[in-house]
Amino acid sequence: MSQPIRAKNLSFSYSKDGKKIIDNINLQVNKGEILAVVGLSGSGKTTLCYCLSGIIPHLYNGELSGEVYINDQFIKEMNMPQIATKVGVVFQNPETQIFFPMVENELAFGPENLCIKREQIGKRIEEALSLLDMEDKRYDKTEHLSGGQKQLIALASVLTLKPEILIFDEVMAQIDQKGKQAIKDIIIQLKKEGKTVIMVEHNLDNIEIADRKLVLKNGGLKKFEGSLQ
Amino acid sequence: MKLDPRTKLVMVFSLSTLAVFVVDTLLLSIVLIISIIVSNFFKEDWGFLNRARKFILLLVGIAFLQSIFSPSGEILFGIKDFTLLTTGGLAKGIRVILRMLVIIISATIMKGSSPREIIQGLIQWKVPYEIAFMVSLAIRFIPILGQEAKDAFTAIQLRGIEIDKLSLTKRFKVYSYMFMPVLSGVIHRAKELSTSLEARAFRAYPERTSYIKLELSKNDLLIMSASIVFTITMLVIYILLR
Amino acid sequence: MKEVCSSNTFIEVNNVTFSYKKSEIILKNITTSFDKGEFAALIGPNGSGKTTFGKLMTGILSANEGSVFVEGKNIEEISLGNIGKKIGYLFQQPARQLFNPTVKEEIGFAHSFMGKSKEIVEQKVNKIIEEFSLQGLEDASPYRISRGERQRVALASIFINEPSFLILDEPTTGLDIVRKEQLSQLLKSLQPQGIGIIVISHDKDFINKNADRVIELYGGEQHEA
Ligand SMILES: Nc1ncnc2c1ncn2[C@@H]1O[C@H](COP(=O)(O)OP(=O)(O)OP(=O)(O)O)[C@@H](O)[C@H]1O
Ligand SMILES: Nc1ncnc2c1ncn2[C@@H]1O[C@H](COP(=O)(O)OP(=O)(O)OP(=O)(O)O)[C@@H](O)[C@H]1O
Ligand SMILES: [Mg+2]
Ligand SMILES: [Mg+2]
Repeated sequence: MSQPIRAKNLSFSYSKDGKKIIDNINLQVNKGEILAVVGLSGSGKTTLCYCLSGIIPHLYNGELSGEVYINDQFIKEMNMPQIATKVGVVFQNPETQIFFPMVENELAFGPENLCIKREQIGKRIEEALSLLDMEDKRYDKTEHLSGGQKQLIALASVLTLKPEILIFDEVMAQIDQKGKQAIKDIIIQLKKEGKTVIMVEHNLDNIEIADRKLVLKNGGLKKFEGSLQ
Repeated sequence: MKLDPRTKLVMVFSLSTLAVFVVDTLLLSIVLIISIIVSNFFKEDWGFLNRARKFILLLVGIAFLQSIFSPSGEILFGIKDFTLLTTGGLAKGIRVILRMLVIIISATIMKGSSPREIIQGLIQWKVPYEIAFMVSLAIRFIPILGQEAKDAFTAIQLRGIEIDKLSLTKRFKVYSYMFMPVLSGVIHRAKELSTSLEARAFRAYPERTSYIKLELSKNDLLIMSASIVFTITMLVIYILLR
Repeated sequence: MKEVCSSNTFIEVNNVTFSYKKSEIILKNITTSFDKGEFAALIGPNGSGKTTFGKLMTGILSANEGSVFVEGKNIEEISLGNIGKKIGYLFQQPARQLFNPTVKEEIGFAHSFMGKSKEIVEQKVNKIIEEFSLQGLEDASPYRISRGERQRVALASIFINEPSFLILDEPTTGLDIVRKEQLSQLLKSLQPQGIGIIVISHDKDFINKNADRVIELYGGEQHEA
């Protein structure tokens, strides 16, 4: 079975003599797998997401050692936009990922970068909005969205990229019951399409859909058996 | 009527060119009236003018004062040998006001186009997309930072700081805190912005498609040519009159 | 006026209607009140107006119609600074309320700004840093810490002022189960002191466990469960 994402002896700290947030992690994620990562606040889940999506080392500095491979390609040798054609990340903080004044512009931005045809982009926008029940917000101003609506738009704007690998960093935190179910359904659908999903979550009810659950503690990943500490 | 942002750019450019080059009170008044009519035609809300009122008044006031005290023409008002106000100075002051109003009001014409449309206009005029995006995002940064300073101001007060009961020095200190997230945040925000741009494959390829597509309609072409013809005519009239 | 103050009501919302500039009506004719020592939860779907309602009760926004009273006084007549002395408000996006270069200064801000002695501030800050398990982050920038850590810094900088009422917009975002439990305990310990709490949240477990009263907003209207 192919493994779209692999980490080998991965270690990272934000500064030279700083604490190792990630300490010698080895991880393989299979194609079509939903992997859940849990852990205490501050244990390094977001940092791990950054390492697996190339944001570390391409955009953040720090002490990195070990290797990450995307489809067997060494992540350090790819540039950030190249990685982004394969890996889509929805960050924990929706405010910082939205930069266009109108929702539709935001959703079109990704596929435009991938040189997708106009008609196709239109279809993708419609599809993403309807999956999240946000069609009526299509022409709204992004700055006027509520917290949860922003989160949903940030998610939708990664869905329109249709990447093979998706990383969701606590995306359900500010979402209502209906929205949470919609997101879970989307993740299950992505799995059916053979996509690989990594989800970071604090709410353990949300990870029932995962094929594998790992806990990040003291810089290492272990099988999750109910305790974070 | 929805006009192409490029048409609007041409209109704004035409009107402000006239405002800059024409030094004739009557012609300037005509240009101002036309700007007002055009801007009204687009039903632009002038609300933001209201918000920027103090600033604009200050600007116009300074310019007006500077001009009316520059002596030329007949003396209107003076104390002994000391000339205070001349006809030339007053006319100059009025022209400065007219000129600024034309520029400000004509700029409101652009407000109806979203930044994304303006970017697209520039791209279709063959401006490289990276540059068009970067310029537009840089401009977008300004209101974001403004909002952040405002939020910080609210947050500071909500920590129980009653601004109006503070001494002047303490008040200054509050303002310095207000700009703290702006100044230190600017680098941070710029980084977050470039992270989210690149994480969504910005610049993955030398080309990119675009979902919105601008097409110049007959109206656009008509208005664009009319603007250009009008501007040239006005300039010619002005030169002949001189 | 004295009678009103001595009563148990802390916030009174009287027939409040609100819409943003050019938006549709977000809240229509809302009338309710919140008592001292009460733990109320405000729930409702995304975009139902919970944050808007919270901001109206803190004086960040003002109602188009109707009024909000805090301790019997019309909120329009109270300065934001004065409200801040009574009500601790947590923004849904805590990054918006942090403005100091380090965590330590952030938490101690109000006290040191108002001229409390260094030792007292330090003592208070250390105590609260422990309560929110933020040890080791004292000198970190509030921008360069994890989401849940930032959430706790924002909470700590509110709690250190010992407000008499709390309005917390999504306080459990970014918190793991251990920290969530700690927050529950802390809030529960405040209630007997007469401190009223409004929590806006989608976190069902947290609400079911803690709230005495649940108000649901949808379609601009309130529905008491
Ligand atoms: N930019 C940064 N510079 C230095 N240290 C950082 C930075 N970002 C995070 N940290 C530290 O690294 C550690 C791990 O942070 P990370 O954001 O990965 O945690 P997390 O598991 O995602 O937590 P949460 O559940 O709260 O989001 C934390 O102790 C944090 O303080
Ligand atoms: N500045 C604004 N201008 C116009 N409309 C706005 C503005 N801010 C919010 N809205 C709209 O008001 C409605 C209520 O927003 P609010 O943030 O109060 O919702 P909420 O209940 O807190 O949602 P969430 O659970 O997602 O945080 C939303 O539909 C939103 O789009
Ligand atoms: Mg995180
Ligand atoms: Mg909200």
